[in-house]
Amino acid sequence: MPKHYRPAGKKKEGNAARYMTRSQALKHLQVNLNLFRRLCIVKGIFPREPKKKVKGNHHTYYHVKDIAFLMHEPLLEKFREIKTYQKKVKKAKAKKNEELARLLLTRQPTYKLDRLIRERYPTFIDALRDLDDCLTMVHLFAVLPASDRENLEVKRVHNCRRLTHEWQAYISRCHALRKVFVSVKGIYYQAELEGQKITWLTPHAIQQVFTNDVDFGVLLTFLEFYETLLAFINFKLYHSLNVKYPPILDSRLEALAADLYALSRYIDASSRGMAVEPKVDASSSSQSNDREESELRLAQLQHQLPSSEPGALMHLVADNNKEVEEDEETRVCKSLFKDLKFFLSREVPRESLLFVLPAFGGMVSWEGEGAPFKEDDESITHHIIDKPSAGHVYLSRVYVQPQWIYDCVNARIILPTEKYLVGRIPPPHLSPFVDNEAEGYVPDYAETIKRLQAAARNEVLPLPGVGKEDLEDPQNLLYAGVMSRAEEAEAAKNKKKMAAQEKQYHEELKMEITASKDVVAPMVTEDEESVPDAMQIAQENADMSTVLMSRKKRKLYEAMKIGQKKKKASVELIEQRKKKLNDAQS
Amino acid sequence: STEDGERESSEDEVDDDDGDESELVDGSDQGSEQQYEESDSSEDEVAPRNTVGDIPLDWYKDEKHIGYDITGKKIIKKEKPDKLESFLATSDDYKNLYKIYDEYNDEEVELTKKVRMFIHRMLKGEAPHADFDPHAPYVDWFEWVDARHPLSSAPEPKRRFLPSKSEAKMVAKLVRAIRKGLIKFDKPEEKPNVYNLWGDDSTSDQKTKQLTCIPPPKQKLPEEEKASYKLMPKEDQPKLIPQRFTTLRSIPAYVNALKESFDRCLDLYLCPRVRKKRINIDPESLKPKLPSRNDLRPYPDSCYLEYKGHTGKVTTISTDCYGQWIASGSTDGSVRIWEVETGRCLKIWQFDEAIKCVAWNPLSGLSILAVAMGRDLVILNTELDTDEEQEYIKELLHLGDVIEPKASVAAIARWLPDEKYGGIMIRHFKNVSSIDWHRKGDYLSTVMASGETRGVVIHQISKKLTQKPFKIRGLPVTALFHPSRSYLFIATRKNVRVYNLLKVDEPVKKLETGMREISSLAIHPGGDNLIVGSKEGKMCWFDMDLSSKPYKTLKNHPKDITNVVFHRSYPLFASSSEDSTAYLFHGKVYNDLKENPLIVPLEILRGHSTSSNGGGVLDCKFHPRQPWLFTAGADSNIKLYCH
Repeated sequence: MPKHYRPAGKKKEGNAARYMTRSQALKHLQVNLNLFRRLCIVKGIFPREPKKKVKGNHHTYYHVKDIAFLMHEPLLEKFREIKTYQKKVKKAKAKKNEELARLLLTRQPTYKLDRLIRERYPTFIDALRDLDDCLTMVHLFAVLPASDRENLEVKRVHNCRRLTHEWQAYISRCHALRKVFVSVKGIYYQAELEGQKITWLTPHAIQQVFTNDVDFGVLLTFLEFYETLLAFINFKLYHSLNVKYPPILDSRLEALAADLYALSRYIDASSRGMAVEPKVDASSSSQSNDREESELRLAQLQHQLPSSEPGALMHLVADNNKEVEEDEETRVCKSLFKDLKFFLSREVPRESLLFVLPAFGGMVSWEGEGAPFKEDDESITHHIIDKPSAGHVYLSRVYVQPQWIYDCVNARIILPTEKYLVGRIPPPHLSPFVDNEAEGYVPDYAETIKRLQAAARNEVLPLPGVGKEDLEDPQNLLYAGVMSRAEEAEAAKNKKKMAAQEKQYHEELKMEITASKDVVAPMVTEDEESVPDAMQIAQENADMSTVLMSRKKRKLYEAMKIGQKKKKASVELIEQRKKKLNDAQS
Repeated sequence: STEDGERESSEDEVDDDDGDESELVDGSDQGSEQQYEESDSSEDEVAPRNTVGDIPLDWYKDEKHIGYDITGKKIIKKEKPDKLESFLATSDDYKNLYKIYDEYNDEEVELTKKVRMFIHRMLKGEAPHADFDPHAPYVDWFEWVDARHPLSSAPEPKRRFLPSKSEAKMVAKLVRAIRKGLIKFDKPEEKPNVYNLWGDDSTSDQKTKQLTCIPPPKQKLPEEEKASYKLMPKEDQPKLIPQRFTTLRSIPAYVNALKESFDRCLDLYLCPRVRKKRINIDPESLKPKLPSRNDLRPYPDSCYLEYKGHTGKVTTISTDCYGQWIASGSTDGSVRIWEVETGRCLKIWQFDEAIKCVAWNPLSGLSILAVAMGRDLVILNTELDTDEEQEYIKELLHLGDVIEPKASVAAIARWLPDEKYGGIMIRHFKNVSSIDWHRKGDYLSTVMASGETRGVVIHQISKKLTQKPFKIRGLPVTALFHPSRSYLFIATRKNVRVYNLLKVDEPVKKLETGMREISSLAIHPGGDNLIVGSKEGKMCWFDMDLSSKPYKTLKNHPKDITNVVFHRSYPLFASSSEDSTAYLFHGKVYNDLKENPLIVPLEILRGHSTSSNGGGVLDCKFHPRQPWLFTAGADSNIKLYCH
């Protein structure tokens, strides 16, 4: 309850005054639950967790200020208007006044979400930061079948598809893609835009099924917001490239469902056109907004591109000295597949590869209409195929499985193709999102990739098993030199045993000397370190400073240590299993 | 005859058709009626014989006639053939099967083949005429083009030439609506629904009225399959265990895609969000930054000498003022004096009881030793000095005529000569737990742990006098003299109280340790700092200028602390514990009052046996001049740690 509405006898402050339950909020806003939910979703309002739950544990609590924020939302009024309007239509229909109903339906009140987007994301960076869910959802709906029952229109699905393609075309054009991971759920992509890491999931290109346990109303409300958000973001991104948005696509390519390719060509053509334009015709720049004219020019420009030209992105590589400053990583990404020509077989996931390969500077074509070059092109270097065996084999190219591309992208080097050749079981597809160093366990293949990367940088990493103590990375050693460590431990044990024997001998000697007299000969005990375990002493000396920590810090430290120990134990478990497996195999 | 009938019927039909056509051509509106009548007439050509009309025939049941013919004569009923005859007739002639009896006319009628076919078709539900097409295309016979003559000769009404009022009303309404702008004819100009929302400079920092929005946590990033997942207990396993597929084409569609998306949506708008601090730092960074130990040398770090000879636990040690000798007491009842540098045992005194405490007189020329055992405090002459000094000591220790003390004091302690070793014995009323010499060597404080309010007394050796300066609150544990001023620190079980010896009434200061049970106390030679050891393994450092609360509490020992001690000149202090270790600290006190004391742990000194039956280090003392530490262990050894 806002303060100025506080009735007599209600609390002034504290949790009771600061939070209200959901039903209280509904009553206060005079809306039903459905509308409240829509408002919350669109405004990004979520329940809070008060320290003291005044009304009980099983309630959802909203902050009073949040509810007041909803209360003053113009959209609330708009929703009410729509509701009354719907009543009018219903009434007309009930009175069999079809004409009026039709007329009313043509003039329905509509609402826009742009203000809300600005409100929720005051800066562009904010919007980028929160883009993960948006992209995942829009990508999912782009592959869903339209359904009358779920109120999912064809138009909507097409819009989603268009937005995703626009987004992918931009990412690919800017070489902002960083990581790809194919998982059971779909393909994860991670891009970096303006320093923000954006991760999204696209489903596999297989027919999706509707399940009964979801409420499409909620999903569609989210989707509505996300569509708007993505459209504005795409606009901003295209604007930064000097490309007109929404893009006008080559209808031929669009018909062939090669939207992404069409888009990339469009971006290329118009960004080049824009750059050239001022020189050609400075006076007509005022009219350049004219839609028809730009369309015409676009058509011309597209015509200028040689039809055999692939991906159109290679041009950008050539004339990018005009491009704004690029960081090191973008440069690496841009030139990863440079000078390589790929051809996609029918069975490989085309959309994904058409997105990934140009993003890393490769030229792609595919089997089918509208492809930039044909299968029998002699300059093709890699043929991506996902069949047990290739039919007709060209000797000039390598036939690899699609996983090779994803692994190359993650490793940022061109991996050797032997393991990925057609018909072979490829090496494990490792997740680029796992920090092996932090996790503690480095899989074998990750180690191999690391070596290859180092080789590519002309560095020399120590071979495993040699055991170099001076290497700064102890983790590396730990896993590389398991054998040497075991040997070391044995040696240490032997040494300790020797020392113990020596000490015993000394003691016996001493006993003999001091047997008769009380006087004790001074004994130098400089080297008696093995009485309690030498390791333990070193350990405890290191822990000396824990004595000085405050209680709180000490407890925290201990808890963290326990966590580390657990992690280490799990890693050791994996190591053990691996060792056992190796033993069993050899 | 059948053939004739057929011919007739076909002729009939032809006639019918002809008639129809002719009528169609005529195009009059009476055609249909005519057609109907004609078809009727064609159906029953022969008029019925009987003229009674459509009445129930029962009425003529009992009459001889069935009705009247057209001339008005009665039609007499015919004689009915009996059943047998009629049956025989049917069996003789099959045509009789097609004969039916007409009750109305009282005659037999033979059904023609045509009629039989009609019946057949009607039974099947078809039209009776064989060549009737029920689905024939409809031919419209009416000429819809303007007729030359109107159908009605009525004059056109006037209203047809006047404008409609209701329509005028409607139009007026529309016009008004158009004028008002309610109706628009040209479609509203479509504004682009996307535009540059954020502007070119995204620095515009508009402040939202909204409550701070906690961004939702990002979804977990995927991992590859780990062999260890399967070993985990069920509840620890991740929801989706990644699975390995050897080829890309073998990956099936993910069934839960929509469901997961939906769950995420629910999380986004239904889950309360709370900002939680998660510390993601290296645990090592939590440790305080300490100066290097090498910079803080010299300090004792290794065992140099062992003094062996006691047969029981060595409970207490004490060094003389130059650090040349060290005295030790043990539970076997012996007090020994050792030469520090050689480890030679110089002297042994044997008593009946376990030695509780030994203390060397701090004066340089006065090498006497106070030994506490049981209820007795014995002051021994160590005879290590020159002859001149010996004489003085002998005189000092000669118990001449003792001044009769007050009764209250006499109940606490009595001065007796020690017959065995020629010293003084002071017998207390309770067991003595600790003793301490005043810096001037004349006064000696004694603490009796179970003495309650009378637990602390001060003896003056020169006058052979005992004083009970004050009442003690709580159970006293130890008492120490201030190193430079006339204060006495008394540690009770929970607190430390500071008394002014010159103005004995109330404690000057009360230090709250917050510990369960104090076991030992040491005062910095500066006098402003002290450390307190407790039986729970904790140590408190008090800066008396700072506060009455501990400046720092260190938890270092897992077991009871037996003793804590400061070095007289080096910035060192140490604690010994029943866990057989001694901790050595650097404890620097600055003259600048603004600067807090620096405490650095230096070394853990081990060496005493860690046998389970009450092992441990029972006492520790610093060498008065060198940075050396003596420790007395329960394993009947004394160790000297040197740098």
